[in-house]
Amino acid sequence: MSSLVIPSAFATEDVRRTVLSNGLVVLTKEVHTSPIVTSMIWYRVGSRNEEMGHTGKSHFLEHMLFKGTERFKKGEIDLLTLKNGGGNNAFTSHDFTAYYFSFAADRWEVALDIEADRMVSCAFEPEEFEAEKKVVIEELKTGLDSPWGLLLQELEAAAFKIHPYRNPIVGWLQDVERATVETQQAYYHRYYHPNNATLVVVGDFDTAEVLKKIDRLFGSIPSGPEPNRMVLSEPPQRGERRLVVRWRSKVPRLAIAYHAPEIAHQDTYALQVLAVVLAEGKASRLYQRMVEREQTVTFISAEFGESKDPSLFHIRSEARGDHSIDEIESSINDELATIAKTGVTAHELDRAKHQIEAHFILSRERTLDQAILLGQIETLYGLDYIDSYLQRINEVTAADISHVCARYLNENNRTVGQLLSDGSASAEEEELEAD
Amino acid sequence: MKPTDLGVRRAFDVHTHLLPNGLKVLLVENPSIPTVSLTASVFTGARYDPEAKAGLAIMVSRLLDEGTATRTSLEIADAIESVGGAIETDGSFERIIATASVLNKDVDLGLELLADLLIRPMFPQEFVDKEKERTLAEIQSAQDRPQVVAGWAFNELVYQDHPLHRPSHGYPETVARITRPDLLDFHSRFFVPNNVLLSMVGDFRVADLLPEVQKFFGGWVSKPVVFPQYESPLKQTAKRTKFITMPAQQLNIYLGHLGISRTSPDYYALQVLDTILGGGAGFTARIPQRLRDELGLAYTTFASITMTAGMDPGRFIAFIGTSPENMKLATEGLINEVRRIIEEPVTAQELQDAQDYLTGSFVFAFESSPQIARFLIHAEVYGLGFDYVEKYPEYIRSVTVEEISRVARKYLDSENYTLVVVGPVAEDGNLMNGAE
Repeated sequence: MSSLVIPSAFATEDVRRTVLSNGLVVLTKEVHTSPIVTSMIWYRVGSRNEEMGHTGKSHFLEHMLFKGTERFKKGEIDLLTLKNGGGNNAFTSHDFTAYYFSFAADRWEVALDIEADRMVSCAFEPEEFEAEKKVVIEELKTGLDSPWGLLLQELEAAAFKIHPYRNPIVGWLQDVERATVETQQAYYHRYYHPNNATLVVVGDFDTAEVLKKIDRLFGSIPSGPEPNRMVLSEPPQRGERRLVVRWRSKVPRLAIAYHAPEIAHQDTYALQVLAVVLAEGKASRLYQRMVEREQTVTFISAEFGESKDPSLFHIRSEARGDHSIDEIESSINDELATIAKTGVTAHELDRAKHQIEAHFILSRERTLDQAILLGQIETLYGLDYIDSYLQRINEVTAADISHVCARYLNENNRTVGQLLSDGSASAEEEELEAD
Repeated sequence: MKPTDLGVRRAFDVHTHLLPNGLKVLLVENPSIPTVSLTASVFTGARYDPEAKAGLAIMVSRLLDEGTATRTSLEIADAIESVGGAIETDGSFERIIATASVLNKDVDLGLELLADLLIRPMFPQEFVDKEKERTLAEIQSAQDRPQVVAGWAFNELVYQDHPLHRPSHGYPETVARITRPDLLDFHSRFFVPNNVLLSMVGDFRVADLLPEVQKFFGGWVSKPVVFPQYESPLKQTAKRTKFITMPAQQLNIYLGHLGISRTSPDYYALQVLDTILGGGAGFTARIPQRLRDELGLAYTTFASITMTAGMDPGRFIAFIGTSPENMKLATEGLINEVRRIIEEPVTAQELQDAQDYLTGSFVFAFESSPQIARFLIHAEVYGLGFDYVEKYPEYIRSVTVEEISRVARKYLDSENYTLVVVGPVAEDGNLMNGAE
């Protein structure tokens, strides 16, 4: 293939990694193209750390971190963001919880004041807790009104028997309903510590000054106990699992999940290339076959993301017209069997590598995107993953693709979920469609 | 680059170039990363679709890259994807857009492909048939989402006979009627260089790129464009209500009415009003603060009148997704906040905070090349001027408390509104028994 345009290390160029004496990892990167600074804090806690009966705690905690601290009273965090013309938000995954602020470069340091304070003094006012519980339940219900949200929730619960990746990140409704201030508070104190966090600052600032301020604000926060090590590991799957979700939709949907390895595993690169060969862009294999030639689906995707523990490779599709889910499934299986047996062409491999490379560059334009890349990889693995990333992608061979396709995307390692009509499509819907 | 004032940024160095055939080209050099964003905007869209063939413009936009006189659909996809680039074509009520995102070394290829699919699309019958079926399937799939169903019904009631009453991709029966000759005719009427803006932002030198633009687009022949005319939409003078039954966890509620066009002189005062009423950072605005933060009624609730302002009047929309038992509380909550901002002046502090937010966060709209390319199109369509980035803070700073009251009274209505509710609710507005 033609060579890479730039090395992936450009993403970590000029990144300075500092570890405070209390264990807080600080990543700073000066970017002076826009007068903007994004700061993010990443806690190494997510739904993977939750016990049975207490799912959704990491996500609920994320909401509470905006509800006030000893120093910043209720509403003040958002109000300060407003007054300073910034943006803030947060997100929770299986493996981490992350918070960010973006501000113009002349007033961004308020973000550090807030993050330092809420690392230790989240308020947990009982009244606020109960009001926010209702909000979290509404968020959970919004997900259940989405066909993909519902199907993937059931699929993951079936694919994993033991590992907490089986639980929805927002939690199961029953668990969220009986969450208490006490359990949330205990969870916060167990996981929110400098030695369980990474602070990332990217943008238009002076590193020396910023590091001094970070040390002043965060340096005196005592380290916490080492968080419990996650000991659960998923036993190998020994045969196909299947499930059907009945729902009000008249459009059948298919989701297949294959057990796949963790970020640290050498097979991740070949699996990422395989996902692109299968379904990224109109020239991809499954798109050409199923959307263009067979015309059985309107949508097809293949996704494999990095995660701390072994996770899932997903293929999803939406049926078109009267085509059956079985027909769709059979085409996918056939294509995977072909790749496992005869591999992919040199051109397909080359195209996929270029797509990954370009995506890596094109999606890192904003300071927030850069902060997300740095924080996520530091939290899941370590920054050297980025340095070698494109090189490792470039080294993937057609034989590697066949190998991972055969090894992971096989019948005995898959969970197949179908979302089918429950026959409830109402008269009003019929009428609406005919309008 | 350093901010000269809180959040104020320097204007871009925009190079404007007009080809002899009338194609307007806007270029901004942005060497921060080795990529280029190429966007061609054709000034036509679903607002001009005949009612009987609603969906025509969007179908044209989606078929542009499915085969040209010189390349098949697969050849186009393979050519751009092989260099890691992407081509997207889509449309709205006002515009048809074709975008190529490429690494800087591939800018010529991006231009060549864009020119090919804009100038010489073939709309092969096979792809027309496929696209019609796909659109029908997508319409059916979208009906699974209560918020989409609510949005469509809301537009029908607010716009009545105006073209914006319909979904931009049309209805199943109008899509079914569209033929290949319709697509070719549409293309020949609107796809002429004097009706196109090409904006290019990224890591290139203007002097190097202009000859390439001339090479690929110079032979395109201009001709006059005749735009269909239609009546302006009418403001509603009575309440309109619709309840649509759908088994779901939540009720999706839209409340609002006709809004303003982007060129309204009151746009900036209303943007400040939006920030106070239903937008802003986090949950600082009145509606999210009251309905989400205090009452815990929703994960999502917002309101805005400027968000949908375009060439045609947009809509004032207040939205909430909530559990069925909260219907009354949520609807009244939205109405109360609309009434309150009409009847009572906002506080000086609210005004100040909203102004600080809008001027301070303005800088985030110009971080990436695609964002800058979008701005160039907006500036051109609405006559904002390329010094808009410097003038905007002043537009916002000059808004007063009195002006917000004036525009609230002029444009918002807490009596004559459209209300659409979708979820476990009966047609008469009563909750369904056994709602999920």
